Amino acid sequence: MKRKLRVMMLTWEFPPRVIGGISPHIFFLSKSLAKNDVEVCVVTCDFPGAPAHEVSNGVEIYRIDSYKNPAPDFATWVYLMNLNMQGEAAAIINKLKGKIDVIHAHDWLVATAGIGLKHVFRKPLVVTMHSTEVGRRDGIHSANEKMIHETEAWLTYEAWRVICCSDYMISHVKWAFGIPDDKLAMVPNGVNTQVYEKLQRRNLVAFRRKFALPQERIVLYVGRLVYEKGVQILINAVPKVLEKADTKFVIVGSGYMKEQLSKIVKNMGLEHKVLFTGFVDEESLAKLQICADASVVPSLFEPFGIVALEAMAAKSPVVVSDTGGLSEIVDHNLTGVKVYPNNAESLAWGITKILLDEKFRKQIRRKAYKKIREKYNWDKIAQQTKTMYEAVLGEYSQSFWA
Amino acid sequence: MRAIIFSWEYPPRIVGQLAEYVTKLAAQLVKNKVETYIVTYHDFLTGLSQEPNGVKTYRVTNPVRTHIGVLTWVLTLNQEVERAAANIYYQVNEQIDLIDVYDWHFIPAAVTLKNALDIPFIFSVESLEEHRAPNADSPYNNAIKGIEGLGFREADKISVKSRWMLKEIVEIHKVPKTKTIVVSQKTSGWVKKVLKTYRATAGGVGNK
Repeated sequence: MKRKLRVMMLTWEFPPRVIGGISPHIFFLSKSLAKNDVEVCVVTCDFPGAPAHEVSNGVEIYRIDSYKNPAPDFATWVYLMNLNMQGEAAAIINKLKGKIDVIHAHDWLVATAGIGLKHVFRKPLVVTMHSTEVGRRDGIHSANEKMIHETEAWLTYEAWRVICCSDYMISHVKWAFGIPDDKLAMVPNGVNTQVYEKLQRRNLVAFRRKFALPQERIVLYVGRLVYEKGVQILINAVPKVLEKADTKFVIVGSGYMKEQLSKIVKNMGLEHKVLFTGFVDEESLAKLQICADASVVPSLFEPFGIVALEAMAAKSPVVVSDTGGLSEIVDHNLTGVKVYPNNAESLAWGITKILLDEKFRKQIRRKAYKKIREKYNWDKIAQQTKTMYEAVLGEYSQSFWA
Repeated sequence: MRAIIFSWEYPPRIVGQLAEYVTKLAAQLVKNKVETYIVTYHDFLTGLSQEPNGVKTYRVTNPVRTHIGVLTWVLTLNQEVERAAANIYYQVNEQIDLIDVYDWHFIPAAVTLKNALDIPFIFSVESLEEHRAPNADSPYNNAIKGIEGLGFREADKISVKSRWMLKEIVEIHKVPKTKTIVVSQKTSGWVKKVLKTYRATAGGVGNK
């Protein structure tokens, strides 16, 4: 009997370790691939309390020693962590007698491990580029950024296929690394609607009261508090929105801009209207998304925009900056509102448009939810990914490596 | 017997004394019927070539051109070392008896190749970070010491050039003496000693 297709996913984050969007992406992709008859083995960084090895949702998970000594800097830590990841992943593949069909690496954070394993076992390497250094930094400005950019270029060069989650990201990656068209594949990100469906049946009035007064509208921001996410633009839009609607701004997440943003809010005298929650647990986040009268994604650079998709799944109307993947997810005035990127006036206009028009809000909720059910469901995405793996293996079987 | 030597310097790239030592060793190994490959770094003279004395060299460069330190340069160069070693391995029907690694630079590649393909390795110690940067305790120095420690733990044999260095690695890295051997090029019969170590290592884990 022919054995199932077997994939090794390399990622620096996997639940319960959640830093950005890669972790939930790989969690749901792996789970859905397993349901679609693909054996998935995830190799990721360790996390306090999480087992070194477990099988969950049909996915085999290995958590490696992620190099916990102090490292000279973040990039060097990444390469040191990769040293451990590669060594341990090599032993896992050896134990499987080399029977891994595809190595799937996510971002430069696992580049060296993925490239090394590809050559040592002579297996096809598939790479998902969730983001790029040139995009995150709006250019390359230092040796450190250049090194990361070159590592990304090397990773995409070594890949059999490069997956991007949006058409915008496809053209960006093509521009950044000069990748030929036939190496690129667009497979969108997905969202799990079940989490929200379950919670929507509950009474969340008491939960809502923890964050806002009954008469206040809730405007929610979820994401890292870093420049590229545009949270500073939202803060600048706060007084403009408050002129028209009694609102509580709930900012979920952390990042290097937190202190600076808190100071700005304090100087504006609006501490009672802006709440910085830091990180919140998964369930509270989902509940907040359900309670939010508007969810804002003001990014300056956004390869995909999973937060917008999650908000749409939670039936929270979205206001997004018209950039990157967000432009593809949201249809203006139909499934959300698009505003000019890096423009607080425009952002305030978008937020108030949603907050002040209940009929419009309802219509957006309905259409947005329909769109994500049809286009961004994980089962469909897993099938697309599996088809892509099979195409790669078809080409690989004709090569001298097979 | 077929061996691969990993050395971060080899002529025409000469940084210290290691290049000269590896040159002499490789020539002697070939004379003693050990098919010898050297995987080394060169910025632009890349690829596989054979020298008149029969030594085969595989030079690799670093695909990442910009670096913030030696550590990032070394850690990204290791994948090219792995690629070169894997190319040799598959070209010779998966029959490599051992890898002889000089100093810490290519220990990551040696560990991966051992874990992946069951190729045993010897860690040949020229110097230690503890001596190169005495009392230095920065994350940079400790990362290099950590890689040396990985080499000591994972190596099948550890070769040092003096009794003093043997004492140092036992004291600093708690290396079991049973894994070690002292081979000094200054003594007669050093080649025989290397060959004996190679044979013992090749017979230890064995190929797939």
